[in-house]
Formats: sequence, structure tokens, C-alpha cells
Amino acid sequence: MLQSILDGEATPQQKEHFLKHHLEECMPCYKNYHLELKIKELLKTKCTGGCPEEVANNIKQQIKSAQ
Amino acid sequence: MIEETPRQHYNDKQKDTIFHGEFMPHINSMYNFAYRLTMDSDDAKDLLQDTYLKAYRFIDSFQQGTNAKAWLFRILKNSFINDYRKKSKEPSKVDYQEVESFYNSEDVDRQITPDLRVEALQDMIGDEISDALNSLDVDFKTVIILADLEEFKYDEMAKILDIPIGTVRSRLHRARNLLKEKLSEYAKKMGYKNA
Repeated sequence: MLQSILDGEATPQQKEHFLKHHLEECMPCYKNYHLELKIKELLKTKCTGGCPEEVANNIKQQIKSAQ
Repeated sequence: MIEETPRQHYNDKQKDTIFHGEFMPHINSMYNFAYRLTMDSDDAKDLLQDTYLKAYRFIDSFQQGTNAKAWLFRILKNSFINDYRKKSKEPSKVDYQEVESFYNSEDVDRQITPDLRVEALQDMIGDEISDALNSLDVDFKTVIILADLEEFKYDEMAKILDIPIGTVRSRLHRARNLLKEKLSEYAKKMGYKNA
């Protein structure tokens, strides 16, 4: 359930129940939920780089020649 | 490898429009994925080029305006498996079947979690998360990238990876637990240094 919520795969009702009710009653889930959110944030900020410009240009060039 | 969709017959101008308007915008995500898979910038570059060339060659199989990102990721993943994955380097050290039921249980979440605290994560300002991600087996690394970095839905991931949705869920669950275990190790080391 927690995973579905994190991944946006839960229904609005499930999400509401989980976030508004379950988390208040269940400490392990509360902890885990915030842990996973933090990890997701870390992943997003620290694990994305991007394509070097010359690589992208090279590809565009190759396609031009392929036409 | 390419799905059987009704073939289009684009002229050169249309191909150009699709290629630059719908394919090229994803090049950063695609490069990141290629790099995480190959762990080598030269191989990543080659893999990326191969993929985009294939995408152009098979552009008639792509329905304009549909999910280009998923379509491209699928090509990249298949190209990686066929051409770049060093088979000798990957003896199956992971018995997916055997441990799946254990790692899917809610109990595992509770056992691993106590060791890792959000505060410890706040202190990870270096490469810990990147290293932790890299340390995962390709299949686990892949689902984390697709779900958390690229925000694909489960059904999109199922199509990209050619696996059932159930497997997407369980693999993701397992991958996240492995990631937490790794981060937990780093946190312990950091705590030890500070003692």
C-alpha cells in the first residue's frame, strides 16, 4: 500500500485513508513513508546528470546523414 | 523487439518533426539511463546513439503523439540487453524466486527501517545515494530509475521491461529494501567515524 501511494498508483480514497488515518496509528509505516520520500528526493536531486551537449549534437548530425 | 503497431508512412518532414519534437526532448533521461546501465560514459554514448538511430529507422512503428518516452526507453533497454550487457559479468547471484516472498512481506520493511533514520539521510550530502543506486543489480537499479527518477507508471514499466505488472511491483519493493540496506550501511559508517 505504501509503495502504491509513493508511486501514485493508489486511488484517491486509498491515499486519503492512508495519509490521514493510517499514518497516525502506525509508527513503522509513518517512519517508512517519510524515509521513502526522503530517498526519492535524494535520488532526484543527486542522481540525474544529463546528456553532454556534444553527444546530443552528434546524434542530430547522424540523423541528418541518415536522411 | 518493436511492438506490432499499425505502421505509419511518414514523409521525411514528418519524421523530422517527430524526431526533434518527440524523441530528442528525452535525451537527458535517456543518457542518464544509458549511463547507469553501462556505468561507462563511452558505452553510454554508443548505446544512446544506437538507440536513437534505431528509433529513427523504425520511426514508422511509432504512433505520433503517443508515449515516446516509454517507446524509446524500451528500445534502449533492449539494445542494452542485446549488445552491451556483459553476460559473463552477470552470473545470477540473485535468486529472484526464492527471496521474493520474503522481501515482499511487510515485516521486512519494519526490520530494515529501524536502522535508518531520515536524519542520517539528511547528512548524506555526497555520493552515497548515487553509489547505493549503482551497487544494485541491473534489474533492481532499472526499476528504481524508471519509477523514481523517470516517474513511469507500473503499466508503462511493464511494457518497457516486458514483465507482468505484479513483477514490477515486487521487484520495486525488493529494490527499495536493498537500497535502504545499503544506505543503512553508509549511515553506520558515518556514525562510526563521528564517534
